[in-house]
Amino acid sequence: MEVKKVPKQANQFWPYFSKAIYFTVVMSQIAVVGIVTLFLITFQIIVVDSIVFWVTCGLVTLVLLIVNVAIVVYATRPIKDLMAAIIHVSGEKGPSTPPNPNTKRNEKTGFKDALQTIYELSSGNTKTDNSLTTTKTSLTDVNSALDMTTSGFVAFDSRRNIIYANKAAPVHTNTDGKTTLDLLFNGKNTLDAWLDDCSEHAVHAENIWTRVPDRLPNQENRRFFDVMASYQKGANPETVLTLIDRTSTYIVDEESLDFIAFAAHELRGPITVIRGYLDVLNDELDSVLQDDQHELFRRLIVSSNRLSGYINNILNTSRFDRRHLKVHLVEDSLANIYDMISDDMQLRAGSQNRLLAVHIPADLPTIAVDRASMSEVLGNLIDNAIKYSNEGGAVNVTAKLAGNFVEIAVEDHGIGMPESVVSQLFQKFYRSHRSRETVAGTGIGLYISKAIVESHGGNISVRSEDGRGSTFTVSIPTYASVADKLKSSDNSNEGLISAGNGWIKNHSMYRG
Amino acid sequence: MKIHTILCIEDDRFIGEMYVRSLKKAGYDVDWVVDGNDGLIAARNKKYDVILLDVMLPERRGSDILQALRGKEDLIPDSHVIVLTNFEQDDESRMAMQQHADAYLIKAEITPKKLLSVIQQIEDNQNTPIVKQAT
Repeated sequence: MEVKKVPKQANQFWPYFSKAIYFTVVMSQIAVVGIVTLFLITFQIIVVDSIVFWVTCGLVTLVLLIVNVAIVVYATRPIKDLMAAIIHVSGEKGPSTPPNPNTKRNEKTGFKDALQTIYELSSGNTKTDNSLTTTKTSLTDVNSALDMTTSGFVAFDSRRNIIYANKAAPVHTNTDGKTTLDLLFNGKNTLDAWLDDCSEHAVHAENIWTRVPDRLPNQENRRFFDVMASYQKGANPETVLTLIDRTSTYIVDEESLDFIAFAAHELRGPITVIRGYLDVLNDELDSVLQDDQHELFRRLIVSSNRLSGYINNILNTSRFDRRHLKVHLVEDSLANIYDMISDDMQLRAGSQNRLLAVHIPADLPTIAVDRASMSEVLGNLIDNAIKYSNEGGAVNVTAKLAGNFVEIAVEDHGIGMPESVVSQLFQKFYRSHRSRETVAGTGIGLYISKAIVESHGGNISVRSEDGRGSTFTVSIPTYASVADKLKSSDNSNEGLISAGNGWIKNHSMYRG
Repeated sequence: MKIHTILCIEDDRFIGEMYVRSLKKAGYDVDWVVDGNDGLIAARNKKYDVILLDVMLPERRGSDILQALRGKEDLIPDSHVIVLTNFEQDDESRMAMQQHADAYLIKAEITPKKLLSVIQQIEDNQNTPIVKQAT
């Protein structure tokens, strides 16, 4: 397609047309007079012998010229006005004032209606389409313009097939010629889920996702996008995605994830040795230590255990914030999970003079759970209950079946919280005014606990009374209620079921 | 079969000594190497009942050693591999290692006493077939 030609504009037409018509009228006039004169002279119908003859010819020519020009002006006036009106509505440069349809003459001749039709037709779209240049620009130009940007544009038809994707869009076409979008949405908040929702509930909808990668970590040329989607039911295209490439911004966070992983590695080295030798020495020195020294040893063990718990919290928080936190749900019993941390928790409670009582009924159904993560949640909640209760206070852990969920409650009779604190409790780094002064902590324990519980499809909530104590409740779906969903889900994010019995993981070793 | 010989591939001197000390005290016959290349050579030259494998190792990473030993064909069919690491690997790399290992543990959580019980558990489970995790 020829696209190099500069497109002509509407305002160039009138000067060209009017010049041509005047030129034609004048030239044809002169030609007619010349031919007639030549004819008369040649055939000696009249004799050219007096000045009177030339004056008469000249005058007749002049009068005819004037009359003809006047007729042309009169006859082309509507065309001129129409052109001026078109130029005006098209937004091109033209006469400063557009022709007025309401003049007496226009009203009388009916030309008013013609002008008004033009103005009315244009009033609907003058703003969005105010340039003939744009409308005349070919589709090829638009395509090459879109291919020049680093932002991606993808259009879907109503059957969610990709009907257009520019160069920067993260898509690939397979051998069947089907184009698919390469975006790895986090968890359940996917484009498909949103479109499902839209097709049921919306006529027009927009949504934004941030930090969506197109590839897995460690794959080459991984890009991150902020994705904006516009949905218009029944339109073609029905859905348009605009993808802003934000790799340069987000890659920094990805690298800091590496930093945190390396920092954790360095921190865990010394902790391994400290915990290891404390365990060894606690056994080997058992007979020689005096009572108060036993207590000191216990404090050392509790502290080092907590330290390694904090590192796990930090790692998981960093993973969660960067959408890397994955849970692998397997069938397990709550009692088994608590067993993993039971010794540690008893030790912690004992060293701070709290009475920890745990009642988990033996006949509770199994739950779908990531064991390491869930033991971290229980550890965080019990640790908090110990921290925020009083000397000699009781901490009760109970569990029961509630519908399709197993509900675990961690109750203390400590300082409690006013309502204003409760609402902010699960925010990252949130620490209440009082706890900042009196209790050590990082403010990420509840934040990551909530994230972990929700990634299990569960819920975490709190009931608290100022000065009376708090009860944290975690509910996790029973395995039976989600087993089918987990098995059928190809989504490795949370659908993976490990065989379990062939695996020995840290937590199963806490049983001592 | 009773577990008797153990190869410990661990570059951290303190951690290595700590595990080796407890394992020897418990009556195991332990060889300890500190770099990845030596670890791979040792694992191929002698039949060990258990191999304790670190991930972040000099010369050759634990993941590469495991790949070399069990990637294409199982060169150590009679050995049990316990991956012991403090490095938080990404999910994909961890799953890849778990496929070829009998256990994958975070060192900071594993005191020598716990390590002994893990080894004991592997010995107890030897007669029951181990179901490998589906990928």
